[in-house]
Amino acid sequence: MLKLLSSNLHDIWDVLSSEVRRVFSDKTTLVIFFLATLVYPPLYYYIYHLEALHEMPVATVDLSHTEASKRFVHKLDATPELAVAYRCATLSDAEQLLANHTVKAVFLLPHDYGTLLALNQTAQVTCFSDISSFLYYKNALLGGSNVLLDEMHAIELVHQSSDGITGELAEVQVQPIAYDDIKLFNPTGGYASYFIPAILLLVVHQTLFFGICVLCGDANENRRALKLIPARLRGRSIYRVSLGRLLCFLLIYYPVSLFDLWIMPRLLGLPQLGSAVDIVLFLLPFILATTCFAMSFGVLFSRQRMSTLLCCLFFSVILFFLSGLVWPQGSMPRFWLAFSYLFPSTPGIEGFVRISSMGASLGQVRSEYLALWVQAGAYFAITCGGLHLTRWLKR
Amino acid sequence: MIHRVIHRELRRMVLQPRYLIILTLGAIFSFIFFATLTNEGQPQNLPVAVVDLDGTYLSRRLCHELDATHAVHVKAVYTSHTEARQAMQRGEVFAFYEIPKGTYNEVLQFRSPHFVLYTNQAYLLAGSLSYRELATMGKLAAGAVQREVLRKKGVEEHLIMGLIQPVVLQNHAVGNAKANYQVYLMTTLIPGIIALMSMLHTAYVIGRERQERTVRSWMRKAGDNPLRAFLGKMFPYTFHYTFLLLVAEIVMYGPMHFPMSGSWPLLVLTSLLLVMAAQCAGCFLMGCISDPSLALSLTSAYGTLAFTMCGFSFPVDAMPLPMQCFSLLFPLRYYFLAMRDITLFGNGLAVCWPQVTSLVAFWILLLIGASMFNRQYERRIAC
Repeated sequence: MLKLLSSNLHDIWDVLSSEVRRVFSDKTTLVIFFLATLVYPPLYYYIYHLEALHEMPVATVDLSHTEASKRFVHKLDATPELAVAYRCATLSDAEQLLANHTVKAVFLLPHDYGTLLALNQTAQVTCFSDISSFLYYKNALLGGSNVLLDEMHAIELVHQSSDGITGELAEVQVQPIAYDDIKLFNPTGGYASYFIPAILLLVVHQTLFFGICVLCGDANENRRALKLIPARLRGRSIYRVSLGRLLCFLLIYYPVSLFDLWIMPRLLGLPQLGSAVDIVLFLLPFILATTCFAMSFGVLFSRQRMSTLLCCLFFSVILFFLSGLVWPQGSMPRFWLAFSYLFPSTPGIEGFVRISSMGASLGQVRSEYLALWVQAGAYFAITCGGLHLTRWLKR
Repeated sequence: MIHRVIHRELRRMVLQPRYLIILTLGAIFSFIFFATLTNEGQPQNLPVAVVDLDGTYLSRRLCHELDATHAVHVKAVYTSHTEARQAMQRGEVFAFYEIPKGTYNEVLQFRSPHFVLYTNQAYLLAGSLSYRELATMGKLAAGAVQREVLRKKGVEEHLIMGLIQPVVLQNHAVGNAKANYQVYLMTTLIPGIIALMSMLHTAYVIGRERQERTVRSWMRKAGDNPLRAFLGKMFPYTFHYTFLLLVAEIVMYGPMHFPMSGSWPLLVLTSLLLVMAAQCAGCFLMGCISDPSLALSLTSAYGTLAFTMCGFSFPVDAMPLPMQCFSLLFPLRYYFLAMRDITLFGNGLAVCWPQVTSLVAFWILLLIGASMFNRQYERRIAC
């Protein structure tokens, strides 16, 4: 019994050490494994670190020329989101500026704006915004509606005081129910805090996947697939080969992923609410599942060194959208939701974002955690099956 | 002479069509994926919750009215804040209203009660959309109370609206009136994916010549002219990927009714130039780096960055200055700017000529890549 165990361990150790040598002697794999994981996180952080668009240039067209309309324009300028860069005399001038991209939005106050307000009727402000980036549209909407709320409040107070109602009573009449809004987990609605945790996880997932596929492709291309299985193991159980390689990648990538997903956010000053223990525990099945997924894909489909990069790189974009961070999982068609769980990145991103940005405990991401373990097991079995198949075909 | 290189490449393509087929299927898959994933235009029925500490007619009515909207649905009604926050952390709801105890009484007593609206901004789109819906509902609830008060005071019905809503803000997104997310995503992502494929594929076929040690026969066909060799190698793929991109654009702006207010010939030209610029970038990297798989992995790194650097999700003007300069190195950036001008604003060449010329400027990379490649090739022959 003891002898069997020690021979097993010995075999696994053999595979592990030869695989580690292979990783460190392959330039491409080294670049993918270490350079990409080192360069991408700070780069993405630097791109997004200003978080939002401030003082976006807008144009106003004030056809009313009344005190009320001028106040509206002043308030627009005072918002942190918008800056009134041009005050145009006609709408066509402003439209020209919008079409030239000099301004990102135009606010039109019609000629009857002041009159309607004086008559206690509803006046209308129109906003034309550039939607080529949703952030422009959102900024115009946000700045505009904040000014709108403030103006409505002020105008209604004037109405009340003209009826002889002032002070607290007027406040209550104008706002019989008030609400405060609290933005959780990303109070400024910033881009870096939203985007980067998911991107970091996707970087780890994709680099590990492509790195392993390059190695597998190399072995297949140079007809060395069988050399991966040490000579004296060829007749024996193949699980030792898969396990040895799995351990090798775990040994290399677990520290890399901890650096990228736990230390890096701290160095960059990103919000991280989750406990260290939860993150460490969560990343273990994630790395195992991703490694097994990549190994099974590599064994079955990677015919050449470069083929996986060529054929699967575009899938990174799709994986990001499958994760549910942009398009919520609940709104996805069922088919895509089921499809998304073929990839470790889906439960990985979903779980990691919740732990890291939202302070969820491991118990609160139980289903994602279990999904990762199930994926790890299933893909491990597929890897072993794939190696069996290769051995059988080579015979 | 160049036709001989093209002929040779076409032969190679037909003899080993595997990657061409896979990538074409990949492009079709991506198109179908984004078309079906986002076909609602904006996410619908986002799950939200209400923490009803009041438990009265008013709070229940608010729940019903929230549930009746298209954008959100009330997934659960909780009795404590903690429960709702935990549901949010489990990812079950994106926002919740907390209605404090005694709200209804305070309304009746004229003492403006406070609701609290919590939204999860870790999911930017879902968080903002549910915020918008819930905030509107809060305003409507306040408006309903105001209207009752005014009615009781005997204010005439046609005057009430002017009193409780003196100003409205109408929003028009130029070119995309419904703020359709699908239009926004697909018009940039699909060309981005196809350009990425064309870049990688061109780089790959050049690298493959090195791996298979067939550079000499390739160069001979081109009469030892590296530029001719590269162009001949590129053209079949230029044709293929431009064709794919055009089909995608015809489907998007045709049957899918994406807004298209500008000229088609200009869009076709920009699409062709995008594919060529991406290929030139691929040729450059493959020409400069002698290890094909290393070159391909660097091309991949550069290619994936294009989706961020084109500025369609996070605008380039919100990035720090060095990154704004860096964004000039990505063909997709110019395509995105030109496409926005053509489709949304209906601008012509008079406005988007800088983008078109910039895309043409990428051809310089092809010259550099080809000459670098040739230098290495000659050195090897000399050895």
